[in-house]
Parts: sequence; structure tokens; C-alpha cells
Amino acid sequence: MTYAMVRPSSRGVGAEQPTARGARRKAGIGLAMTAIAALALTGCASGGAETEAAEKTTIRFTYATGDETWNGVVEGVVDAFNEQSDTATVQLDPLPAGSDYATAVKTMDATGNWPALIDMRDTLTYINAGKLAPIPESVTSLLDENVYGESSDGNVYVVPTTALNGEIGINIVYDKAYFKKHKLEVPETYDDFIDLMEEIKSNGDVPLATAAGEVWPSDQLWKPLAAPVFAEWSDEDGFWNAVQAGEASIADLKAPLEELKRITDTYVLQGWQSTADAQTTTLLVNGQAVMATSSAGLGRLLDVNKVDPDFEAGLFIIPDEDGDINVLKNAVNGDTASGIAISSQAAEDEKEYQAAVDFLEFYFSVDTANLIEELGMIAPNIAEADKVKRNTSIPGAEDFFALLENPNLTWYSNEPKLATFSSFNTFFRQTRIEMQDGQTTIDQAIEKAQAEYEKIAAAG
Amino acid sequence: MSDREGQATAVATAVRLTGDGPLEPLAQPQGPGGDHPAADVAPVRVVSRRFRRQRWGMFMFILPALVVYLVMVILPSLQSLQLSLTDWDGVNSSYDYIGLRNYEEILGSGRFWNAVRNTLLLGLGSAVIINVISLVVALLLDKLNRGQGFFRTIVYLPALVSGFIAATIWKYMLNFNFGSVNTLLRDLGLGDLAQDWLGDSDLVVGVLLFIVCFTLGGNTTLIYLANLQSVPQELVEAAKIDGASNAKVFRFVTWPMLAGAVTVNMTLAVIAGWTIFDQVMVLTSGGPGFVSETMAFFIYKVGFGEYRAGYGSAAAIVLFIVVIVSTVLANRYMRKREIQA
Repeated sequence: MTYAMVRPSSRGVGAEQPTARGARRKAGIGLAMTAIAALALTGCASGGAETEAAEKTTIRFTYATGDETWNGVVEGVVDAFNEQSDTATVQLDPLPAGSDYATAVKTMDATGNWPALIDMRDTLTYINAGKLAPIPESVTSLLDENVYGESSDGNVYVVPTTALNGEIGINIVYDKAYFKKHKLEVPETYDDFIDLMEEIKSNGDVPLATAAGEVWPSDQLWKPLAAPVFAEWSDEDGFWNAVQAGEASIADLKAPLEELKRITDTYVLQGWQSTADAQTTTLLVNGQAVMATSSAGLGRLLDVNKVDPDFEAGLFIIPDEDGDINVLKNAVNGDTASGIAISSQAAEDEKEYQAAVDFLEFYFSVDTANLIEELGMIAPNIAEADKVKRNTSIPGAEDFFALLENPNLTWYSNEPKLATFSSFNTFFRQTRIEMQDGQTTIDQAIEKAQAEYEKIAAAG
Repeated sequence: MSDREGQATAVATAVRLTGDGPLEPLAQPQGPGGDHPAADVAPVRVVSRRFRRQRWGMFMFILPALVVYLVMVILPSLQSLQLSLTDWDGVNSSYDYIGLRNYEEILGSGRFWNAVRNTLLLGLGSAVIINVISLVVALLLDKLNRGQGFFRTIVYLPALVSGFIAATIWKYMLNFNFGSVNTLLRDLGLGDLAQDWLGDSDLVVGVLLFIVCFTLGGNTTLIYLANLQSVPQELVEAAKIDGASNAKVFRFVTWPMLAGAVTVNMTLAVIAGWTIFDQVMVLTSGGPGFVSETMAFFIYKVGFGEYRAGYGSAAAIVLFIVVIVSTVLANRYMRKREIQA
């Protein structure tokens, strides 16, 4: 542009006037020069940016996408980290909803394409295979010591992604306005829960929406029903270990399986077999069901609020016959433990490993905990938890926090030692769905699950 | 003369007529000079050397593709045979050999036989349905005088969409609560007909069969259409002059001339049916329960989702045997029919 502007003035007074054609040619040359100059400048600028980026170590964080709240939290935290870090950039590598986690990770493993940070499941399988790197004390020291555990070799391989409040997130989300209108109360015992559903049904409405289209959400109704049996074995190394030792059997779960079948047949919204987890929010807000199963805790309340800000949602956990609210404690080790892990592949590169550690240190800081709360999830249990500002603004959140303070809340343990328990767990879910659907009887389901457990335990 | 001998003769004749190619000198007349063997032997040697050189040249052309195929397909397939005898979890580098235990377990598994039943139903069912419908559609398209291009495009369009994408669209359409199919039925006052298409264990395999047929029909129609248009019209006209009805023309002229296309289409459809995976993965994940699992999905599920790669490999070997045996038998039957034709 400079050339084009300067050039005509250089002719001076009295200079021969250019012809129109010549002027167009010169203008064209000027434009071309301008473009070249602009490109050169852009090149310099981007080269500078590349240099800057090259100084930073880029690492991938693979995580399983879930509800909108969780996806927003991951994106928000990573953006905040990238903004403040001079040494590392974290790139998100989300596993889309509906993709199979085990397959995705096995594919990464087979192709040698591990991310530095991974949202880890089936943890013991990957620890035993040497695919995870130890997490240093600089990270674990930022956490409450009850929310992580050492593996058999003394190393910590996984740290929690969010608050470890066990399976308190598995609960029933309900329409508070409907409850008020029909003078219904949150159930205090299991019988109350059945009476509640009976009353809703007698009003001509559908009591409960649940989902089994993706297999895993079938746990949302099953686990609270089976919790009283699991809780009985809590002090004796857990139910599943008792089954492995031959002291208990799947037949001990017959009563909850019968209840599962009864509730499914009598009170659940039709179409549950093909309903996806996320659809239950819509079913609730549309009034197609008065209650819906959930495993997202506060996240589900936030989702409901996003779909319909005027909807009054509340939540509760199905109590047992005595009124106890049995909730599974989180496993901090073993195959069912989950959270963020650093891959062994990343540990081979000092810079990548350091970048992953930097991110985890950032993740478990007070500022990030506050950010996670603002974004709608409960922050991980960090050592300085008293400095975290809790988010109570989500409608219905008071029910969630009240659950944590409920005197009837009973924590139980049920951490399987079987390294291949996840294989059985998938099979058991499908067997239950098959039984709920009426393809098999309860006794057949028990027999089938018992045989599979024994086979997997013998092989594993 | 058998059909193979006939083919060989035809090829040799064609090569000789064109005058180029490795067999060219063989076309030299064997006249009175035939009593001079030395004169004949020398050119044959030259030809033989040239033929070998050309063969090596041709081999070098296919070598890169062959290497890729061997490394990416054949070797892993052979490795599956080895892995099927182990308890490998697919992740850990160590495993133990357990003999034929995986095979024993597979053959005694009700879940596996349910997958076999579904695979047979979807494989054979889709092959028959697709071929019948495609043939009818091809016959209709062949008779069209106007708008041929438009209707051919319409028929072929579903085949252009990947199975995964098509299945995803169907998943939305068939959703029990929000899908357009049930919504339409309810809006028309036919709410009783609204079904949980993908969640009802009595319906789900039939729904999968419908979707598979819908997706795979385009190619089959195209092959039939191409063959229909190559049926010699003089044969058709001769039959009509002899007083044959349209049905008889089809039965005794068109249908026998389509025998080759039927073989190709049936083979392709059966193989596609044996290996149905993406539709099951997207639409039902094998459920509800295990009811809609196919063999391909079963292999994937146990091998990847349940960390039993050894067991999954054994199932893959069984699937391979089923596919190869059924394809060979079906082909043998259809080839016989072609010879008669």
C-alpha cells in the first residue's frame, strides 16, 4: 500500500500523466506488492506465534464426555490453565457421547497414541499392564488424603476428577411443583417410595422415567435397590469379594432383583429399553414422568435448569426399609476407581510429564476448585476445602447438600479385588436388562450371572 | 467342453487374434517346418524368458499392495488364530496359552448361539429380501421411459450414506418418545401402533433387518439394472414373436440371463449380512440385554468392551469358518445354476 501511495507523488509537478491502462497496470502491481508485503508480515507474525507455541509443551487430555455440565467444566478448566501457563498447553481430546470407552482406550494403546492425561476407568487393568505413570506427591499433597490410594507398588496412579461423595450422585430427580400440587412427600422409607409411585400412578401420571439404551444407566435404578444387601457385607470386605470367596452368591440379590422387576413393570415409563440417559431430563421437564433416575447429582439439576429455568427440580435417594440411605463409598484404588491419570507414554518425555503434573497441580488449586463450583459441579476434595466457595445457586442444590448432612446417610464399601470385575459388570448389567425386559426369569438371570462371575473369576 | 475350458480357449483365441501378449508366437503356423524342432525351440525359449520377465514386472507392480495386504490383513488374521488359544486381555503384554478352552466356552454359550441365530437371520434374510426387492425395482427402472436418471438416483441414494450415518438417522426417527415415526402415528390417531422399535425384544431384530435392507439395496439394484440392459433384445423379441407372455419372457429369457448377477448379488449380500456391525452398534448396542447381538458385534463386545481379546479372537475364527463355508456352498449352488443357464 505504501508503494501505491508514494509512487504517484514521485512524479512531481509536470510529470507526464499516465494513461488509464498504465494506471490500472501500476495499480495492479501496487496491489500485488501490497499483498506480498501483507503475506510477508503475516508470515512474520505467525512465525512469532509458532515460536512462542513451540516453547510450550502441548499435551492431550482425553476425557469421556457426559452431561453438558461436565463438558463445560472440563473446557472451562483447560481454558483457564492454558491462559495462565507459560510452559504447557493442554488440548482437549473428548470421547464423544455414545462412544465405547474401553474400545477407544484400547485403540489408543494399540496405536501407541496415549494422551498425557486421561480420564481413567478400568484402572487396575491399565495399572497392571504398566500403562500409567505414578502421580507425584506435589499433586497428591494438594488433596484430602482419603480420596486417593496407593497401589500395591506404593504408587498413586489416579486422582479424583470431582468430589468423591461416593455414589451420592445416583438419585431420583423429581418435579417439586407436582409434589406440592398433590401434597406428596419425599419418601423416608422404601415402602414410602412404593406408596409414592402408587399415588402418582393413581393420578393418571407416570411415576418414573429411567434409561437403559446405553446399558450403564441401568445402574441408576438397580444400585439403590441393591444397596441394602451390599451394605450388609460392607464390614466383611464387600459383597463382590464375598462372592469371589464363595461366602455370598448372586442369589443373595434375588430380593432387589424382584423389586427391580416389579418397579419396571408397574411404574416405569414405557420405552425405557431404548431411552438414552440424557433423554430422562427432557421426559421429566415435559411432564411425561414425575420422577427420573439420574447419576449426575448436581449436574443433572443444572441440566434441568438449562432446559427449563422455571422447572422446580428436587432430588432424593431411594431409602431402604429402615429409612437408611445407603451410599457406596468411592473406590480410590482397584478396577472401579476412576479419575485422572498420567500415561506411561507421556512419562517417557520429561517435558510432557512435567506439563501433565503442572496441569494436575493447577486442577487441584483453590482457584480451580472455585471455578469448577461456578461451572456447576462440586469441586474435588482438596486439602484446602474450607477455602472453596460452594455453589448453592443451582435450583434444587439444597436437596443435594442436605443429603450429605442427612443423619440416615450410611456409607458402605464394596470394592472388588477381581482385576477383571468390569468385564463381569457389563455382563451383569445386560443380564439385568434382559430380565427386566421379560426375556428371562429372575432365577435364570441369577444363574447366568453367577456362572459368568465364576468363569471370569477363574480366568482372572 | 467345460465352461472353464471354454473360457480358457476364448481367452487364448482373443490373445492370438490381437497379436500381442505372451502367447503370440504360439500362433505361428505349424506347417511343414514342423520337422525342424531346433527352429521352433529357440523362439519358445525367447518367449518363455520374455514371459517370465513380464511376469516379474507385473509382480513388482502388485508387490506394494501385496505387502500392505499381507501386513495389515493376512498376518493379523493369522495372529488371531494364535491369540484364540490364549487368555489375552488385549492390553497386558503377557498372556497364557489355554488350549481350546475359548472354543469350548464359545460353543457352550447361549449368548453366542443367539448371536449366530441373529447373524443367520440378518445375513440370509437381508440377502433374500434385498435381492427380491432390488430385482423388482431394477425391472421397473428398466421399463421407465421418462425420468430414469431421477429415479435411479433416488433408489441409489441410501447406498451413498454410510451405514453408521444411516443408522444414526434411523435411531432418531425410531425413538420411542421423541421419534418422528411414533409421533406421526400418534398424530394420526394410531397411537396403539406406536412401538418401542429399538427396545422391544420381539421387534428389534426385524427392525434391524429392515434398516439393513434399506441401506444395502442401492448397489444390488444397480447391478441388476446393468445386467438387465445387457440382455440381448433379439432373444426377447424372438420369444415374443413365438407368443411368449411377459411373464414367460422373464422366466425363460431374462431370469436365466441374470444368473451371474444373482450369484454376485447374493454372495455380496450374504457376506454383508454375516458381518453386520455398525447398525447394531448404533441402534441397539446389542440390546435390550443381548437379544440383538450379531456375531460381529459379539466379537467386538467381548474382545474390546470386556477385555477378553483371546475369547474374541476365537469367536472371530468361528465367524470366519461360518462365512467361508456358507459362501463356498452358496456359490457352488449358484454356479451350477449359471452353467445350466
